[in-house]
Amino acid sequence: MEAMSGTNSINDYPIYAEGLMRHFGDVKAVDGVDLQVNAGEVFGFLGPNGAGKSTTVRMLTTLLRPTAGVARVAGFDVVKDADQVRRRIGVALQDAAIDPLMTGHELLALQAVLYGIPKAKVRDRSRELLERVGLTGAADRRVGTYSGGMRRRLDLALSLIHQPTVLFLDEPTTGLDPMSRLALWEEVRRLNAEGTTVLLTTQYLEEADQLAHRIAIIDHGKIVRQGEPRELKAHVGAPTLVITVPTGQLDRAREVLRSFGDLRPTAEGSLGVGLSAGAEAVPAVVRSLDEAGMHVQHLELNEPSLDDVFAEATGYRLEGAASASGLPQAQGAEGGTGKRGRKRGANDSGGEPT
Amino acid sequence: MSVGTIAPRAEFAHSAETGHAWSQTMAMSKRSIIAIVRQPALIIPSLIFPLFFAALGSSSFSRATQLPGFPKVDSFLALTLAASVLQGVIFGSVTGGAALAVDIETGFFDRLLASPTSRVSILVGRLAGNALFGSVEALFFTLVMIPFGVNIRSGPAGVAVITVAGGLIGLGIGGFMAAMALRTGSAEAVQGIFPLLFVSMFFSSAFFPRETMKGVYRSIANYNPLSHLYEGMRDLVITGWSFDAVLKSLLIPIAIGCVSIPLALLALRRRLRAA
Amino acid sequence: MTSTFANAPATRATTSRAASGLMMRGLRTITRLPSAFFPAMLMPIFQCVAFSGTFFAITHVPGFPTDRSINWFMPLGVLMGSAFAGVGLGFSLIRDLETGFFDRLRMSPAPRNSLVLGPMYAAWFRSLIVTAVVTAVGFALGARLTGGLLGLVMLFGGSLGIATVATGWGLGLAFLFQDMRGAAIMQLGLFISMFLSTAQAPLSVMTGWLHGVATLNPITNILRMSRQGFVNHTVNGHTVGAGVTWHDTWGGLLAIVALSAAAVLFARRGLNKLDA
Repeated sequence: MEAMSGTNSINDYPIYAEGLMRHFGDVKAVDGVDLQVNAGEVFGFLGPNGAGKSTTVRMLTTLLRPTAGVARVAGFDVVKDADQVRRRIGVALQDAAIDPLMTGHELLALQAVLYGIPKAKVRDRSRELLERVGLTGAADRRVGTYSGGMRRRLDLALSLIHQPTVLFLDEPTTGLDPMSRLALWEEVRRLNAEGTTVLLTTQYLEEADQLAHRIAIIDHGKIVRQGEPRELKAHVGAPTLVITVPTGQLDRAREVLRSFGDLRPTAEGSLGVGLSAGAEAVPAVVRSLDEAGMHVQHLELNEPSLDDVFAEATGYRLEGAASASGLPQAQGAEGGTGKRGRKRGANDSGGEPT
Repeated sequence: MSVGTIAPRAEFAHSAETGHAWSQTMAMSKRSIIAIVRQPALIIPSLIFPLFFAALGSSSFSRATQLPGFPKVDSFLALTLAASVLQGVIFGSVTGGAALAVDIETGFFDRLLASPTSRVSILVGRLAGNALFGSVEALFFTLVMIPFGVNIRSGPAGVAVITVAGGLIGLGIGGFMAAMALRTGSAEAVQGIFPLLFVSMFFSSAFFPRETMKGVYRSIANYNPLSHLYEGMRDLVITGWSFDAVLKSLLIPIAIGCVSIPLALLALRRRLRAA
Repeated sequence: MTSTFANAPATRATTSRAASGLMMRGLRTITRLPSAFFPAMLMPIFQCVAFSGTFFAITHVPGFPTDRSINWFMPLGVLMGSAFAGVGLGFSLIRDLETGFFDRLRMSPAPRNSLVLGPMYAAWFRSLIVTAVVTAVGFALGARLTGGLLGLVMLFGGSLGIATVATGWGLGLAFLFQDMRGAAIMQLGLFISMFLSTAQAPLSVMTGWLHGVATLNPITNILRMSRQGFVNHTVNGHTVGAGVTWHDTWGGLLAIVALSAAAVLFARRGLNKLDA
């Protein structure tokens, strides 16, 4: 579904944040986030562990009070009108927080009660949602017996019981197998087609690429890039030529490549250059390297990806090893590494992380 | 090229062959003791609660000491020293057993099995920690209660016997805990025994003399070995030195240990077979 | 300021409906996680049996208000059981906080009071079960009512009151610590408070420091109110009558109201801090 373009009134944005901050002592988990999510949009919020994604979501969903700044969701202030916000949002947090002692039916019924859904409608609504997420057969079993994928689906069903206009999904596919991930993507697309505005946080570039109309990249509590994936990739610009040469030849090869464009972060042991003249410059590069006596062991040409966008914005990669210029892999606020790596290569559309 | 068997490096061959069981046992004992010392939150309840009950009892029941059937004592507190030792050591032994279960749950036990550590030293080391802690607790309670007017009529010798008895009780009860830990590998299961032990203390003369009980209750207390163990230590405090008291204080925990430690060894053997 | 989304369907439950829903969840735990509830039931039964057997002789101390030790210790068992039934809801809350389930409840528009009242209702229900079972066991062991049916009402009233206090205490600590440290303090605090009262012996028999502490401890009043249907009234060690009197009731009621208010406020404040 095409997303509506934003209007001037902040009340017309399902999600609006200005200067949003959250500090924990000296730690600035969220340090001035501005967001305008358009109605009917799927908005991707991308960043490594510890970047501030979940903290931002917790503020927008009224779980955490901002230290500073303004946030309005579904037209209401998250602090002053928290109750009104809660009535209109659905949330599936990073951990599928469900009671293992209860059955799927019981959890849905409880959720319905908490949202004031009339008793007469609860049963039908529950049945409809269970069918939708494919849990009809398991609904009378205790949730403790569910697989991880089933719990996520139930979590999604719980977040939809009251037909929210705004849906927050915090890393909804983390830990899921590829089939479950694809199924969940389908469901997000369906919900969006029905008019639900979705804010989706993720560490997975492909997920953002596949689902989001617009994305924001957050790093160390600040948004560093925001826009449509297509535009952001085009902004990174030129395709990246990646070569591998023997270690002793790296410096000389770097000098050769500089004349064809800007050097870019790549995996350790390789060099990357953004070809300002485009793919047509490849033969010239190869000739120059050959004339300089370089022994090219491997060569590939990559169109810009969201990983490139991320690397260009932050100076490190969300996935994969350190670059030739010594830039590290993404580090979270807690000092943990970023997402586990995946196999790189041109046209990398498969190879889901384990 | 075939690999064949690989001999241990020469400098370690001697250790591998003899096992150095003694040094391993000492190392395991040291670990057990360090674990106790570094986790005061685990041991403080076993030190504080018995004292709390002793203080409560001496205020609540001091008038009861005039009742028929009560031994002749200066104060109710004199009766509580032995009970405090018993309670404290039982609480502490549960902690030690749970620690062994945690080793199993976390995989540290497997790490020990994968090394040339003597199997028995794993158990003995744990029990040694229990025993030492039991003795320390017994001495602690004695030293705390003396300033509050408890007069130990058997003198320093009696204090020594009570201290040793504390260690033997730790060993004996610790054996049951270790057996449970090795059998189930679950700290929760070990802690589940605690209510049973606590109940058995109540069905004894540890809190009130058997002579004041009646009916089935008195019968159970009469047959409960904890009654006789308690009375042995109590008599060292309120009556004075007697071989009967010394024998009860020392032989009963030894007898408990003669049952519990073989059980623990059996559980260890079963676990090793299953590994 | 009007909002584009103001007309979207947006409802919430009433406090009582939401609290009832949460109560049902709390009650399901009884059968689905029996290890979380049955110790609270078994422990007071054990206490009745063990204390009345072990300390039987204390009834012979001059001035003791009953000659049946079970009459003295059964109400204590009931109150301890109710207290731990209440604290059990605090443990459940810790579990919910650690798993994130409580975040789900907080994100819903359920009235905040229902998040405290729901567990409270469950605690009352559990307390009634414990009281009924332990009282039945007590009667089977020879306990006798001296104060008529009103005495039984006082016992049930006392147990509900203690359950309220314990639940507020448990929930408040759960909000404060959000992990199992809270559990240890919940139990310890209750245990010590209950025993620093006339738990084991009446004031007339007590000596020393405990007499002063127990006199000031409001739980002494609750115990007095709860026991009066099972023991005689004594003045200076002499029995002067039996039955329920306003003299032995008002102190307990006041203590229940005051402690309950404090405990519920403690819990509610803890919940507010979570939202801060």
